[in-house]
Amino acid sequence: MSNLAVLPIVIPLISSIILAFFHKKLPLVRSVAKLVSIINLFVVGFIITYVYNNGPVVLESGGWDAPFGIILVADMLSMTLVLTTNIIAVAAVFYAQHSLSQKQEEFYFYTFFLLLIAGVSGAFITGDLFNLFVFFEVLLMASYALIVLGGEKVQLRESLKYILINLFSSMLFVTTIAFLYSVVGTINMAQIAQRVQEVDQQGVLTTIGILLFFVFGTKAALFPLYYWLPKPYIVPNPVVSALFGALLTKVGIYSILRVFTLIFGHNPSFTHNFFIWIAGLTLVFGVIGALSTNNIKLIIAYNIIPAVGFMLMGIGVFNEASISGTVYYLVHDMIIKAVLFLIVGAIAYLAGTSDLRKMKGLIHHYPLLGWLLFVSGIVLAGIPPFSGFIGKLLLLQGAFSEGEIIIAIVGLLCSLLILTSVMRIFIRGFWGERDDSLTVHKKTARKLTIPIAFLLCFSILLGVGAELFYPSGASIANYLLNPEIYIEAVLKE
Amino acid sequence: MEIIMSILSGVLFTTGVYNLLQKQLLRIIIGTALISHGAHLFILTMGKLKRGAPPILEYHVDQYTDPLPQALILTSIVISFGVTSLLLVLAYRAAKENETDNMDLLRGNENE
Amino acid sequence: MIFAIFIPLLFACFVPILSKYKDKIHTGIFVLLIPFIIFLFFIPFIGSEFKPVYTSFNWIPSLDISLDFYLDGLSLLFVLLISGIGALVTLYSIFYLHKSERLGAFYVYLLMFMSAMLGVVLSDNVFVLYGFWELTSISSFLLIGYWHHREGSRYGALKSMLITVFGGLSLLGGLILLTVITGTTSIQEMIAQTDVILNSPYFSLIMAFIFLGAFTKSAQFPFHIWLPDAMEAPTPVSAYLHSATMVKAGIFLIARFSPIFNTSEWFFLIVSGIGILTLCWGSYMAVRQTDLKGILAFSTISQLGMIMAMLGFGTKAAIFAAAFHILNHATFKGSLFMIAGIVDHETGTRDIRKLGGLMTLMPISATLAFFGAFSMAGVPLPFLNGFYSKEMFFDVSLGLNEPTLLAADLLRQAIPYLAVLGSIFTFVYSMYLVFGTFTGEKHLDQLPVKPHEAPIGMLISPAILILGVIVIGLFPNLVNESFIAHTAEAISGKEVHKHIVFWHGFIPPLYMSLIVVIFGAGLYIYRKKWTDIYLFIPGQLSFNKVYDRFVEGLETYSAKITNSYMNDSLRRYVILIIGSIILFTFITMISTNGFAFHTNDLADFSITEVIVALVMAIAAVFTIFTRNKVAAILILGVVGYGLSLLFILYRAPDLALTQLVVETITLALFLLCFYHLPELQPRDESIGFKTTNGIISIGFGLLMTLVAVSSHSSKWFQPISNYFVENSKELGGGYNIVNVILVDFRGIDTLFEIVVLGIAALAIYGLVKLRYNKEAE
Repeated sequence: MSNLAVLPIVIPLISSIILAFFHKKLPLVRSVAKLVSIINLFVVGFIITYVYNNGPVVLESGGWDAPFGIILVADMLSMTLVLTTNIIAVAAVFYAQHSLSQKQEEFYFYTFFLLLIAGVSGAFITGDLFNLFVFFEVLLMASYALIVLGGEKVQLRESLKYILINLFSSMLFVTTIAFLYSVVGTINMAQIAQRVQEVDQQGVLTTIGILLFFVFGTKAALFPLYYWLPKPYIVPNPVVSALFGALLTKVGIYSILRVFTLIFGHNPSFTHNFFIWIAGLTLVFGVIGALSTNNIKLIIAYNIIPAVGFMLMGIGVFNEASISGTVYYLVHDMIIKAVLFLIVGAIAYLAGTSDLRKMKGLIHHYPLLGWLLFVSGIVLAGIPPFSGFIGKLLLLQGAFSEGEIIIAIVGLLCSLLILTSVMRIFIRGFWGERDDSLTVHKKTARKLTIPIAFLLCFSILLGVGAELFYPSGASIANYLLNPEIYIEAVLKE
Repeated sequence: MEIIMSILSGVLFTTGVYNLLQKQLLRIIIGTALISHGAHLFILTMGKLKRGAPPILEYHVDQYTDPLPQALILTSIVISFGVTSLLLVLAYRAAKENETDNMDLLRGNENE
Repeated sequence: MIFAIFIPLLFACFVPILSKYKDKIHTGIFVLLIPFIIFLFFIPFIGSEFKPVYTSFNWIPSLDISLDFYLDGLSLLFVLLISGIGALVTLYSIFYLHKSERLGAFYVYLLMFMSAMLGVVLSDNVFVLYGFWELTSISSFLLIGYWHHREGSRYGALKSMLITVFGGLSLLGGLILLTVITGTTSIQEMIAQTDVILNSPYFSLIMAFIFLGAFTKSAQFPFHIWLPDAMEAPTPVSAYLHSATMVKAGIFLIARFSPIFNTSEWFFLIVSGIGILTLCWGSYMAVRQTDLKGILAFSTISQLGMIMAMLGFGTKAAIFAAAFHILNHATFKGSLFMIAGIVDHETGTRDIRKLGGLMTLMPISATLAFFGAFSMAGVPLPFLNGFYSKEMFFDVSLGLNEPTLLAADLLRQAIPYLAVLGSIFTFVYSMYLVFGTFTGEKHLDQLPVKPHEAPIGMLISPAILILGVIVIGLFPNLVNESFIAHTAEAISGKEVHKHIVFWHGFIPPLYMSLIVVIFGAGLYIYRKKWTDIYLFIPGQLSFNKVYDRFVEGLETYSAKITNSYMNDSLRRYVILIIGSIILFTFITMISTNGFAFHTNDLADFSITEVIVALVMAIAAVFTIFTRNKVAAILILGVVGYGLSLLFILYRAPDLALTQLVVETITLALFLLCFYHLPELQPRDESIGFKTTNGIISIGFGLLMTLVAVSSHSSKWFQPISNYFVENSKELGGGYNIVNVILVDFRGIDTLFEIVVLGIAALAIYGLVKLRYNKEAE
C-alpha cells in the first residue's frame, strides 16, 4: 500500500504529458483534464482515509531504505493539504474554460496546470529536503509558464520580477541545504531532525534554520519579503491567480510549519518569538496594503499576506491549540483565497474593469455573485460559523494562553480591517444605482459562478461541520509537536 | 582550501547580488548566473574537497570524494539551466514588448 | 427552544419563494406568523414560579462549542421584547413597505436578525453567543444598507458595521481570554468561577474587551456615532433593531456578566461613568436635531446610557430599575419610532422644521405620540410607565454604596446631579418632538405630500405599544413579581422583591422629578434663546469627524504607506529582501553563538586552485565594470568555465562535463537574446546607488561565507554517502556512483528535473509562438 503516496504526484504528471501531445484538440483536452482532476480528488480522498485509519504511509522510492533514497511521506498533514489542493484544482479546471482564451488553452494551459498540481502535491508529500527543492522548482517552473501564458505586456514585465526573486530564493535554498548537509551529513528530513535533536540545535544550526525560514518566507510572502507578491499575482488570468493565491504561498508556510516543528523546534524562545514579531508585522502591513488600493484584484492579492501572518503566528506561539489553528487556517485560507480570486476575476471580467471607482450597482445584474462575495468576505474575516472562525479561534486561544496578548490584539484588529477591505468591494461595486450601460453576460456569469459556489461550500462545511474536521486538526498538531512519531515512521528505528 | 572556496563562492554571491541590483536586464540576469555558480560551488565545498578519488568505483581505491553533493549539483545545474533559458527568452520578449531593458522603467501603475 | 431560535432563519429560506407572489399577497403577512408564534411560545414562561430552563445540543464538542441555551429572567425579558416588538414591527412594515420594494430581501434580513438576536440572549456558550452577536451586526448592516442606492445608506451601513464589528472582535478577545482562564465556554460556569477570574492577571483586560463590545453595540459615548446614521434604514428597522432590541444587546451583555464584574469598583466607575455621560450627551444632542428620527436616535442613545448607568450602580434596586426601564423604553420608543415613520410616510418629510400643526390632520397619531413622549420625559402621571422608571432612577442614584476609589467616589457624588441634568434635556427633546410636529403653525406648502391620517393597519402597532405604556403605568406590579423581578434576580444573582407604587410621599426623587419638569418646560419654551450654545459645544469637535478622518485616513495613509515601498522597482524589493535576510541572520548568528572556525579538517592548499579561484573572482568582479555586452557575457563564461575547471580539480568529472555543456549553451542563448537589445549603458549612477549596492552585496556574500565556514567547521556527523559508495555496484549496478545516485537512489529528483526542463521548453515555445500567432491575427 505504500505506493499510494506517489499517486497524487504521478497521476497529474502522466496525464499532463499526455495532454501536451494533444494540445490542439481542446474539447478532448478539457474533458480529460476535468476527468483527471476528479479522479485524482477521489484517489487522494481514498489515501487520506487510509492514512487516517492506518497512520502515515511511507514510500521508499526505488526501494532504497531511508535515509538513503528519497522518502515520500503521506501523513495526515500532507494529505490534508493535498486533498485541499485537489479540491481547488477541480474548481479551477471547471472555471478555466470560461475564463481563458482559446489560445491560452491551446498553449498547454492544462499541462502546466496539472504539473503545478503535481509539484505542489510533491512538495507536501516529500520527506527529503533536496527533493523538496526539486518539487519547488517544478511548481515554480509551472507557475512561470502559467504567469507568462498569453504574453501580454504587463504579464511579461511582472513575471520577470517574479522569476528573478524566486530564482534568487531557490539558489539560497540549495545553498542552505548544502550548509545543513555539511553539519548533519544528510538530507533526509527525518534524519536531519534526529541529528539536530541529538546535538540540541547548537552552534550554527539555528542560523541555518533562520536562513531556511527566509527561503520559505520569501515563497510564503512574509513581512520583509513579500514585496514581489501582489503585482505578479494579478496579471495572469484569474484562474491562474486563484491557483497561485491558494497554493503557492501555502507551500511556503507549510514548509515553515514542517521544518520548524520537525527539525528546528529546539530553540523556540529565540526562533519562535522571532516568528511572532514577523507575524505581527506581516499582518499589519498586509492589511494596510489591502486597504490601500481600489483595484479589486490587488485587494485580494494583498489579503494573502495577513493570512500568512495568522498562520505564522500560530507556528510562533507553538502550542497545540495554535498549531492546530495554523493547520485549520491553512486549509481554510487555501479554499477561500481561491474563491476570492475567482470571484474578483469574474467581477473584473463582467464589469469590464478591476477599478472599484468605475463600478456600481452590480448586484442588480449579478446578485448571486454579489452574495458569494459577501459571504466570502465574512468567511475570510473569520466570523462564525464559517471556516475562518474556527482557525482564528484556535490561533487566538493559543496566543492568549501563552500570554501573547499583543499579537492576539493585532490579529483581532486585522480581522476587522480584512473584513473592511472586502466589504469595500461589496459596497462600492455591488451596491448603488443600477448601471445600465453595462453589457450583461448572464450566461458566462452563471458558468463562472458554479465552481465558486462549489468551493465556498467547503468553506461553510469546514466551519459548520468543524466537528468532522477539527479532531484530525488537533491530532495533526499533536503529531507535529511530537516529531518522534514522524522520525520513527520514516527511519523505522 | 575549503575556506578559500567559501570565500570565492562568497565573492560570486557578492558580484551576483551587485549585478542583480543594477538596472539593466542583462546585468541582472548575469547576476543570477553568478549566484547559481556560487551556490553550486558552495554545495561542492560543503561535501569536503579532495578526500579521495573521483566517485567512480575502481578496485584499488577505497576512499572516494563525497558523491552526494555532486549528484545534487548536477540536478541543480540542470534546473538552473532551465530557469535561465526561460528567463533569457522572457527578458528578450519583455524588453522588446516594453521597449526598454531598464528594470526601473519596467513598472506599472495600480490599475492595469 | 432551539427550534424557536432557528425558526426565523429556516423560514428565511422560503421567503425568496414567497416574495415571488408579492403582488398578490404582501410577503410580510407570512413573516408576521413567525415572531408571533415565538412570542406565544415564550409567554407561558412568565409567572412568579419561573425557573431557568437549560437545553443543550452538541455542535462542535471537541472545541467545547455547543448550542447551549439558557432561559433565565434576563433572557426571558429580551426574548419577549424580540418576539413581541418583532411581531408588531412586522405588522407595521406590511403597511409601511410598498409591494414594489424588494420585500424578499427585507424580510430575509429581518428574520436573520430575529434569529441572531434570540441567539444572543439565549446562548450560554460564549462562542455561540459571539456568532449570533456578529450576525446581528451583519443583518443590521444589510438592513441599514437596504436602500443602497442612497449614499447615506451606504455610509451608515459601513459605519455601523465597522464600529459594531470592532466591538464584536473585542468581545471575542475577552471571551477567549475568559475561556482560557476558566477552562469552560459556558457563561453560567464562568460565573461560578468568579474568584478565578477576579484573581487573574488579565481581569482588567477582559473587562476592557467585553466593555468595548457592549459599549459599541449599545451606542455608548463615544461609540454612539453610528446610531444616528443607522436611521437611513427603513423605519420598522429603526424601531426594531436600533431602539428596542439590537442596541440593547450591549446592555444585555453587561447584565449577563455583571455577576462577575460588579464586585470591582472599576465596573461601577466605567459602566456608570460612561452610561451617565452618554445619557447627558445623548439628550443634549437630541435637542439639536432637526430630523425626527435623528431626535429619536439620540434619545435612544441617551436612554441606553441611563440603563447602562443603572446597571453600573450595581445595587439591587438599581438593577431592578434597569430591567424595568428596558421594558418601558421598548414600549414608548418603539411607538414613537413608528409614529415618526407614519409622519414621514404621510407627509414625505421627517424634517421637523417643515412639520407642525399636524394634530388636526392626524389626531390618532398625535395622541399616541403624546403618550409616548410624555412617558419618555418622565412626566409624573400615574398612567405613564416612563415616570416609574425615571423616578426609580433618581431614587437609586441617591442610594449608591460608597466606593473606596477616589474617582469612583467623585462619580458617586456627581451622579444625582448628572441624572437630573440629563433628564432635563430628555424632557426638552420629548416636548420638542411632539409639540414641534403636532402643534403650532402648519407649513403644508412645504410638504411633498398632502398629509392625512395613516391607514388603520399602520396605527395598530404603535397603539398596542402605547396601550402597554398605559397598562404598565396603571398596574406596574402586573409585570413586577412575575417578570421583572426574575430579570433583576438573574442579573444580580440575588432575590429581588419590590413593590412599585406611584406615590412615595415627599421624598428627594419627587423633588428631582419636579425640578426636571419645571426646568425642562422652561428650557423648552425659551429654547430659541439658548440653542446657540450648540455652536460652541460640540461645535467643530464632533466624533463623527473623528470617525470620518479615521476612515479617510485609513485609505489615504494605507495608500501612502504602501506606495512608499511598493514602488514596483525590483531593485528596491531585492534590497529590502536581502537587507533583512542579512540583518536577521547576522543577529541570529551572534545571539545563538553560531559562528565557528576550525582549520583541522581542511583539504590541502594548492596553488593551481588558488589561481583558478583568483581568475574567477576577478572575472566576476569584472562583470560589474564592463560596458560591452558581449564582453560581459564572455566574462561570465570565464566564471562558468573556471567552475568546470574547479570541478575537474575537485574530482567531479561528471559535473565538469555537464557544466561545460550547459555553460556553452547558456552563453549562446545569452548572445542570441541580447544581440538585439541595447548596449550596456555607462553606469552613471550616483554614489548612494553604488554604496547601497555595495553594502547589500558585500554583506550578503560575507554572510554566506561565514555561514559556510561555520557549517564546515561543525561537521558533527558522518555523511550518509558511504552507503552510496558501498552499494553503488552491488545494488545499483553501476560504477559511476554519481550516476547511480541520480538514476537510482534519487531517481525522483532526476525525473522531476527533466520535468522542469520540459516545462521550460514548453513555456519558451509558448512565449515565442503565441506572439507570432498574435501578430498574424
